[in-house]
Amino acid sequence: MTENPARESRLLRGVHRTVTGLHPALESVVAAIVGLLIGAVLMYIWGFDPWKAYWALLRGAYGGSYEWASSLARGTPLILTALTFSICVRAGMFNIGAEGQMMIGAMAAVCVALFKAPVGLHLVIGLVFAAVAGALWSVVPAILKVSRGVSEVISTIMFNWIGRWLALYLAIYVIVDPMRAEKTLTVPVTARFPILVRGTDLSASIFLAVGVALVMYFLLWHTTLGYEVRAAGLNPTAARYGGIRSKRTMIVSFLLGGVTAGLAGATIAMGLPPSYAIFGGGGLPELTNLGFDGMAVAMVGRNHPIGILVAGVFFGGLNAGGRVMQFYGSNPVPLEMIRVVMGAIVLAMAIPELIRLFPAIKRQGDKLFAALRRGRDPRSKEGSA
Amino acid sequence: MNENAGPEARRGADGYLLRAEGITKIYSDGTVALKKATLEIHSHEIIGLLGENGAGKTTLTKILSGLLPPTHGRVVSPRGPVRFANPREALDFGIGMVHQHFALVGTFTTTENVALSHEKPFSLIRLAKTRERLEALMEESGLRVPLDVPVEKLAVGEQQRVEILKVLSRDVRLLILDEPTSVLTPLEVDELFALLRKLKEKGTSVILITHKLKEVQSITDRIVVLRRGEMVGDVRTAEATTERLAQLMVGKTLEGEPTAFELSAEQLPRALSASRKKEFSGEGILHVVDLVARGNTGEVTVNGVTFDVHGGEIFGIAGVEGNGQSELVECLTGLRVPVSGSATIRGTNILGKDPRQIYRLGVAHVPEDRWRLGLVLPFTLAENAILGVHRWEEFQGPFGILRRGKVYQHVRQLMDRFDIQATGPNAPAKSLSGGNQQKLIVGRELAKDPAIVVASQPTRGLDIGAAKYIRDLLIEMRDNGRAILLVSADLDEVLALADQLAIMYEGRFMTSCRPDTLNREQIGMLMGGVACKEVA
Repeated sequence: MTENPARESRLLRGVHRTVTGLHPALESVVAAIVGLLIGAVLMYIWGFDPWKAYWALLRGAYGGSYEWASSLARGTPLILTALTFSICVRAGMFNIGAEGQMMIGAMAAVCVALFKAPVGLHLVIGLVFAAVAGALWSVVPAILKVSRGVSEVISTIMFNWIGRWLALYLAIYVIVDPMRAEKTLTVPVTARFPILVRGTDLSASIFLAVGVALVMYFLLWHTTLGYEVRAAGLNPTAARYGGIRSKRTMIVSFLLGGVTAGLAGATIAMGLPPSYAIFGGGGLPELTNLGFDGMAVAMVGRNHPIGILVAGVFFGGLNAGGRVMQFYGSNPVPLEMIRVVMGAIVLAMAIPELIRLFPAIKRQGDKLFAALRRGRDPRSKEGSA
Repeated sequence: MNENAGPEARRGADGYLLRAEGITKIYSDGTVALKKATLEIHSHEIIGLLGENGAGKTTLTKILSGLLPPTHGRVVSPRGPVRFANPREALDFGIGMVHQHFALVGTFTTTENVALSHEKPFSLIRLAKTRERLEALMEESGLRVPLDVPVEKLAVGEQQRVEILKVLSRDVRLLILDEPTSVLTPLEVDELFALLRKLKEKGTSVILITHKLKEVQSITDRIVVLRRGEMVGDVRTAEATTERLAQLMVGKTLEGEPTAFELSAEQLPRALSASRKKEFSGEGILHVVDLVARGNTGEVTVNGVTFDVHGGEIFGIAGVEGNGQSELVECLTGLRVPVSGSATIRGTNILGKDPRQIYRLGVAHVPEDRWRLGLVLPFTLAENAILGVHRWEEFQGPFGILRRGKVYQHVRQLMDRFDIQATGPNAPAKSLSGGNQQKLIVGRELAKDPAIVVASQPTRGLDIGAAKYIRDLLIEMRDNGRAILLVSADLDEVLALADQLAIMYEGRFMTSCRPDTLNREQIGMLMGGVACKEVA
């Protein structure tokens, strides 16, 4: 295989250029900068010093090994829930259900506290529990869509609520810690992810997230299954012509998405010190919004597993740094500001898509531009006549 | 003209309503759809616009109704030249068009749909007033439609009446109908024609676009025939014979006068010389008996078709588009489940199987719509080159892993063998020109080493060079003993290539014979739905 032409394949395959003509990765960077700028303007309006605040954010996110560790730790579940969303987007669907699937997965992972097993095996069993539970929670909307044509957007949103309250019920009444009613059973030491950096939240679960992302990448671009999923997502009629069963790719992509969401829940239950448990009493604070934030990560990561890894570290950094920004001496910017920045980034990401959705706007703009140029250049028509 | 003080049209100096003068339309891709067409429309008149696909009928009417601007030429009313920027302006002037595909909001009632078509931005919707108006209009015209039922619950014929009401409620003086009878049952056609006659009496002119000879003869006063963008005939219906119309529609073969058919035959020397005279000795490959299928809206579109395709033979299906060809092809390639009948490939049933199983039996399918079906446009050349064969052992290794090396090898071979111009195997398919996209599809399908190639509109929209190349490939496959089912709206193409010809009309084969046993006049009549026996 000396003249193996496969070498021509590029790393970021499947990243399509958008309307701005920029490379999509660059477009994401621009969107992030726009989001930070909007945040800066808001901080200024409310009397904070944006430079100081962002400096605190940067130092808090990536200023040292401790900061890096907590950024990565916060990015870990987001990477997994982002994969949930993006694999379904690749298959042409919007799976909003990562939130519920992740919560159910976390509860399943907590169940390892009910029995004993050797180190390592106990962890693996917990991961399998979480993956299967997430997949089961995910496959119901998929089956509804395939068999009854129910919109997956609606059904996954409803399943999020069912999942949330079911998880809360389980945490409060079923797998509750008999000594402390506000939290679930504690995941035993044998089933915990080892901590990588002493004194931080960063556990080996980051390897799980990176590993799953790489597997997803391989699956999507190097297997026939991934080929079918992407074909069905980009052009369902051509996929059908090509002998691809779209119902199958739908179910498979939802199952895979459920697995990653379930694992995201497991990384919290089994990998978040110091409690290694889920607090039902506080309304599942560790879990809430991980699924929805994952959608933002998926968008900024362009629904590409490698892009999602980068975006996950960025969003993890925003979360970790935001907490530091909050306590930064003379300039205590509330944590909510970071959520504003995240929202602004997502909106900025959507602008090129909006332009694509309304080509008429672009045409009008082009026309105006052309008219302006003609106005400036008198040679255009009259001169030649 | 004894009525006085009618609309301005009646007052025209020489009694015309509208005149299209020297209209030429060149589309942005260089297609010349109309060449210097001139048409005068009088009041109290039903005009039939007759022609094949791509003859320019729809383009002409779109220009009249303000949907397209002409490249050259102008539209003149008795008051001077008119120019419509959009269909609304044309409607205000009194010209309304009912398209083949309806523009109705399915969940709205008839009244609401009509009211919607009257609204200007930020105006109030006056449902009660619209309803009153519609009731009066229905009384006057005899056109009955339920007013308070969502239109999606109405039959197709009723939906068409809603469309007509929508236009009539704007007091049009010229009503244009694009292939109105293609979706109607015979009874509904009679009702429609009765309505048109009534409208004519009331002074509304009608332009009826159609390819059906019988219809055009039964209802119109004047027939205008278009062929390849040129106006080739303008005859009074009373004086027109079926033969004459058929001849005008498909072109006649006079001694010494080169016709489109001979021109394309010239481009295809091998087609005529190769094996036209040879008797088919190939084995029977595709065997179809009494196939019946429904279209997307539930109407029967393929109505009992029986035929065989042998190896070493090109079986051509000609006919005006929309007469069931697409549905027939979809049934044979696993994209549509037929109602009844049977179809076998070398004795194995193919009906109801999915496309992958059918490809396994040796079927290659060049689809009619290369963007919708043939390609995943954002995919690379390499990815598109294995669509449909991606699960074959050649490309799929253990655990479903794609053999990328093999895929790239394959796409390079295709690019060399089929002369596909692209920057490389990783170029997105959408960056290719239409001709190269089609070469990619045809190449991919022929590389399957199929027993039968089902090619639907294989050269549509291609330039002459690419079209010739693809026709040559089909001939080559035929000469290699493969069976080819060619479906094309391009009559010249079918006549030049086919060893066996069938003409499809309203879901049936009007005939199935050797192409040289028919003259063009007969073919034209068959395409227009007139059987040879009726004429003879």
